[in-house]
Amino acid sequence: MPESKFREVLPKQGKLAVEDVTAMVLCKPKLLPLKSVTLEKLEKMQREAQETIRQQNQRT
Amino acid sequence: MGIEMDPLLHAWSYFRRRKFHQCSDLCSQLLEKQPGDQESDSEFSVFQAAWCLKIRALTEMVYVDEIDVDQEGIAEMMLDENAIAQVARPGTSLKLPGTSQAGGPSQAVRPVTQTGRPITGFVRPSTQGGRPGTMEQAIRTPRTAHTARPMTSASGRYVRLGTASLLTNPDGPFLNVAKLNLNNYAQKPKLAKALFEYIFHHENDVKNAIDLAAYATQHAQFKDWWWKVQIGKCYYRLGLYREAETQFKSALKQQDMVDTILYLAKVYSRLDQPLTALNVFKQGLDRFSGEVSLLCGIARIYEEMNNISAAAEYYKDVLKQDNTHVEAIACIGSNHFYSDQPEIALRFYRRLLQMGVYNCQLFNNLALCCFYAQQYDMILSSFERALSLAENEEETADVWYNLGHVAVGIGDTSLAFQCFKLALTNNNDHAEAYNNLAVLEMQKGRIEQARLFLQTASSLAPHMYEPHFNIAVLSDKVGDLQRSYIAAQKSEAAFPEHVDTKQLITQLKQHFARL
Repeated sequence: MPESKFREVLPKQGKLAVEDVTAMVLCKPKLLPLKSVTLEKLEKMQREAQETIRQQNQRT
Repeated sequence: MGIEMDPLLHAWSYFRRRKFHQCSDLCSQLLEKQPGDQESDSEFSVFQAAWCLKIRALTEMVYVDEIDVDQEGIAEMMLDENAIAQVARPGTSLKLPGTSQAGGPSQAVRPVTQTGRPITGFVRPSTQGGRPGTMEQAIRTPRTAHTARPMTSASGRYVRLGTASLLTNPDGPFLNVAKLNLNNYAQKPKLAKALFEYIFHHENDVKNAIDLAAYATQHAQFKDWWWKVQIGKCYYRLGLYREAETQFKSALKQQDMVDTILYLAKVYSRLDQPLTALNVFKQGLDRFSGEVSLLCGIARIYEEMNNISAAAEYYKDVLKQDNTHVEAIACIGSNHFYSDQPEIALRFYRRLLQMGVYNCQLFNNLALCCFYAQQYDMILSSFERALSLAENEEETADVWYNLGHVAVGIGDTSLAFQCFKLALTNNNDHAEAYNNLAVLEMQKGRIEQARLFLQTASSLAPHMYEPHFNIAVLSDKVGDLQRSYIAAQKSEAAFPEHVDTKQLITQLKQHFARL
């Protein structure tokens, strides 16, 4: 196939080149991890413990 | 008057229905009667039965699965005498998350925790601690991330729970463990087991617990595997890991139990020998094929070693056995999300929703998946629900932070501003929100404001590369090359493979060479 069939296309106007600019980066979206049953129970017990201690302190 | 139920049976029925407070109260009433007027000739009197039932009820109130509980305090982490090598070979240690073989998405896509591990889809008590590399990092942790909370001592939480249970009983503790004649109790195996669990779980008095267990195992002529496992648990709590290992191994010889295998593997992973732990699990799988907890244990270790693809394989195996395993679904879901397949992640999280998981985290994840899978109708309602379900301010902050991303994505800068600001109002230590605010401020051309935010972010979370890199870019723009170079180096330390950082550093080096 003769080469002349495909002409080289070079744009002469408009956006001719893109300069790679270092842009600032965003932190990524964060999927929140689910909590295990044990952890939830521990946290619940801790909350209750703090609550009882608070109530105890208020009474005295 | 109807027919009264026998009080002991009534108490037992409360126990079976997990109404432990009522059960304990009823048992107390029974115990107030004189022990003498019951039939005392039989081996187990009503008095003994009520006593036993009461301590079991008290134990159940505070019982947490010992296999899952694993918290290292700062002291345990930093003054670790069990480390075999200070600098472990790649792929043999849990301490160096950088020694990953391959597989997972890079830090540019998936956020990392303080210790440099990619964030996981599921938190357990033991994932909270992490293993900070230096003392400074260890002390710094409480101010940076609520997911990586160290304690000054591993026993801290147990002690606090113990004091609270003391306070709930106005006339002091039910038993004064120090005054008990443990040797006597050890003669009665049935009482001894209940008493041991009470001392171990409710009183958290490991020293007395191990005494009782030692007497009891002697009384059983070292033939009862249960007591060996309990002694091993005590040793583990005391930090005597090698002794614990011997006990568990000996128990396994007598009786093959999944629990014991899990405890043994836990000892090895605490000793920082993940490969041995994996071997224990795999040998266990030969005997208990398809056991979910073993498969899940393997997956967790691979995940901790940063070998995400292997972890995903095992999580899939878990799901083949048990298709309602929340941990496996959550981990696979987050893997898909961070490997650019939010549609598939969405299906996993939707499955969790169908299974009845209903909390802030799940709705937040659903909303994010919806956004990136371009299902815009669900995003805002899911976020709203997540906000209404949030249990504390940290969770609210995280939801607002993610909502800020959606706002950035749809180009609504002012909404994004508000979201990140709200995240900061709820959690003043939200480093990611500071960083993103800085980027937005920079777009508006307020350089000084941006610099302030970035400095806050980088001091709050030195493990993230973004704030360092952004400081480098910003300083480079205003011509402060020295500061830019320092920040770029910090960024490179946090994320060595980051191409833009590398380019920036070579540029700066060329600059300096020309001077």
